[in-house]
Amino acid sequence: MTTTKTVLIVDDSRVSRMMARQYIAALRSGWRVEEAGTGEESLLKAREVPPDLILMDVNMPGMGGIAAAEQLRREFPSVPISLLTANVQAATRERATAMGLGFVEKPITEARIAQLLATLETA
Amino acid sequence: MLNLTELENDALIEIFNIGVGQAAASMSAIVNEAVRMSVPSVSFIPRAEAARLLGHGEAPERICGVSQHFRGAFETDAILMFPEDKSLEIVRLMVGEAVPLKELTDMEQEAMCEIGNIMLNSCVGTLANIFQRELEGSLPQYHVGTSDHILTATGSLADSVVLMLHIDFLLEKHQIHGYVAFVLDISALHDLKEQINLYIARAMGQA
Repeated sequence: MTTTKTVLIVDDSRVSRMMARQYIAALRSGWRVEEAGTGEESLLKAREVPPDLILMDVNMPGMGGIAAAEQLRREFPSVPISLLTANVQAATRERATAMGLGFVEKPITEARIAQLLATLETA
Repeated sequence: MLNLTELENDALIEIFNIGVGQAAASMSAIVNEAVRMSVPSVSFIPRAEAARLLGHGEAPERICGVSQHFRGAFETDAILMFPEDKSLEIVRLMVGEAVPLKELTDMEQEAMCEIGNIMLNSCVGTLANIFQRELEGSLPQYHVGTSDHILTATGSLADSVVLMLHIDFLLEKHQIHGYVAFVLDISALHDLKEQINLYIARAMGQA
């Protein structure tokens, strides 16, 4: 039986959202993909359509990805959240680990998205 | 400008080579093609001279650039530049053939910003990791114009020093030349030198 899941992609780059969506559709055709362009928008979107997995950019206008992930973690404690970011610094990776977040480096590739989806399915 | 000992200069080149190597790996993942990126030299030159070099001296070439300001261990404007006429080709390589040309043209600037964001963060993030410090980056900004226009658009002063890395991106199927420049003022140059010396001390087991 196929289970439909919802993935929330949070990224201020339309191109990155488009690429992530495309790879998710190719890997899990029945899954629902929601998008948000800012941290603030991600909070509203998650309350509207509760996600099963959240992919979060870090460097965004407004509250930024780390603050948004903290808030989403409080509101949706069982939902896996992974940073998907160009920020490859050890400090960011350590912050993600301390917060219980996944960490995947950009650029977005099909292999990296596949790895994230596999994480969800084993979570 | 900035006097470096032979060892400091060697360490600087080594550190930026590692950073640029990471940027090459990111570029390769973006375009899904093998990329070779050479860093023949690292030079500190005044902004005006950097603009002349990037513009190839004669009729100024139009360039598209993506800049980000970083602050922390040292403060710098990092700028990634490509010839303007290669921009759409790079974006096409990034998103593949599925996107129609009209849509591709619409998202060209945004896509170039994301490419710049990924490559500059890959390079600068690696430097931060080597220096064991954090560098906080701004959002990427897109510019089009001559090299002088782009170097000025970052807000740098005419007497700023540019730490310039001239990089050739060599893709298997496409020859695309790109440049990365780091603009630093005198205070930032001294901070960078301090970080290099800490790195050397760690490498020699003195820190």
